[in-house]
Amino acid sequence: MKKIINAPEAFVDEFVEGILLAHPDLVKTPGDDLRVLARADAPRQGHVGIVTGGGSGHLPLFKGYVGTGLCSAVAIGNVFSSPSSDQIFEATKAVDGGAGVLYLYGNYGGDVLNFDLAADLADLDDIPTRTVLGRDDVASQPRERKLDRRGVAGIIFAYKAAGAAAERGDSLEEVAAITEDVVEHTATMGIGLAPTILPTTGRPSFELDEGEMEIGIGIHGEPGSRRGPLETADEIADHVVEALVTDLDLKSGARVAVMVNGLGATPLEELYVLYRRTHQILAESGIEIVKNYVGEYATSLEMAGASISLLELNDERLALLEAPAKSPFFQEG
Amino acid sequence: MEAEQLNGRIRGSLAVLIDSADELRDLDQALGDGDLGITISAGSAAVIAALEQLPADATPVDIARASAKAFANANPSTMAALVAGALLAGSRVWADVTDVTIADAQAFAAAAATSIAQRGKTQIGDKTILDGLAAVADALVDQTDADEALDAAITAAAAAVENTKELQSRRGRASWLQERSIGMADPGATALQRFVESWKIAGVDSK
Repeated sequence: MKKIINAPEAFVDEFVEGILLAHPDLVKTPGDDLRVLARADAPRQGHVGIVTGGGSGHLPLFKGYVGTGLCSAVAIGNVFSSPSSDQIFEATKAVDGGAGVLYLYGNYGGDVLNFDLAADLADLDDIPTRTVLGRDDVASQPRERKLDRRGVAGIIFAYKAAGAAAERGDSLEEVAAITEDVVEHTATMGIGLAPTILPTTGRPSFELDEGEMEIGIGIHGEPGSRRGPLETADEIADHVVEALVTDLDLKSGARVAVMVNGLGATPLEELYVLYRRTHQILAESGIEIVKNYVGEYATSLEMAGASISLLELNDERLALLEAPAKSPFFQEG
Repeated sequence: MEAEQLNGRIRGSLAVLIDSADELRDLDQALGDGDLGITISAGSAAVIAALEQLPADATPVDIARASAKAFANANPSTMAALVAGALLAGSRVWADVTDVTIADAQAFAAAAATSIAQRGKTQIGDKTILDGLAAVADALVDQTDADEALDAAITAAAAAVENTKELQSRRGRASWLQERSIGMADPGATALQRFVESWKIAGVDSK
């Protein structure tokens, strides 16, 4: 294992310290726990707070989306581990501006348990909360079981919409409904080419033979729908985009936002090769790309591979995507 | 049971329960990831410390909530989160309780069992702590004598653990073992049995 780290157990605290030192104008630690980051101006009175969280190892997810027009705070777990309920509760108190708090995070068992427990604690303090789960990974469950799907890169669309709605002063119920609507119209699929090595264990996140790829891989290296020989970029894009279009039931005339996301070790050039074909297929199907995002948005440390996400747009969702936003790793407008 | 006595009894019981941590760790290593031992030992120690800090006028609700927070944060495992959620759910049915009766204890256990079923997405028979907790809640129904009620709870908890040996684990890491889990007692249900037994031992010790 070759990594630019100090002690493995200090890894998370030290990168959080780095983010704080690099972006003091955007984020702060509201208390003395480095595992809770909030936007610099939190709490904002009269505005819904948005708390996200999850394990480390996915930058820019989750901590990179705390800022204006995005999430209000994040609770930070160890690599691939949930934050504690106490950290989530601290984040909740830090962003509560009297209008309630939305919990928005990926659908993973440990995270759900800890966020639910934090919601209990918030309720005892008279802070109302609502929960919306990112569940966009179409390979993790069939459409009939969509509520059980894992959350992956498509949650960034949900962050953007929730943040824009909260910024303009929508109520907690409105922000939750808007966010759920975006999740409902988002689909993602990933492919993995090589695993990451976990800094604490020194072990690979999954095993893959030379010349193979995992189709439908999760952002912790969870197995996907099948494993097979490595295909060309165009073949990969064809399979993935077809699965997404089918899942969202997109017809000619539909408008979409597209995200081609690198999982950590895949160069931007390869992502643009994927985007090229994605654009071609959608154009052939009469589906218009209104917004695109190409780059690293949700990674798995140095996993090699990529994911493609689609969000079906209407005027409301497009307006939310186009609203201004600024965080350490994301800017719009 | 008045709040102050409740506080002391919980601390006494958990001090006894910590002695079962190694047994629970070993059971959990066979079926799960082995962190139940540390969840119980660190969680119990944290609850004892938290309850020692409570003011003299703390109510039963305060005691349950302080216990939940301390247990959740000591070793933030799945089991810790489920148990903490269950304690908070139980505390909600105690809103105005100052002197905990057997009926209050029964309502607490029933609410706690419902919470674990919902949060853990589990049912009785899935071979989890719920099997034991639901049995204890049932055993407390219509009991009037405190000693008899406790003995009934202990008997029910032990019987529930015995029953889990016949069952296949359907939740958590243990479910990955599938039929290989049959024959082994569920660690969560066993932890509950040891807690109820500890409650009795702590009561005898205090007399």
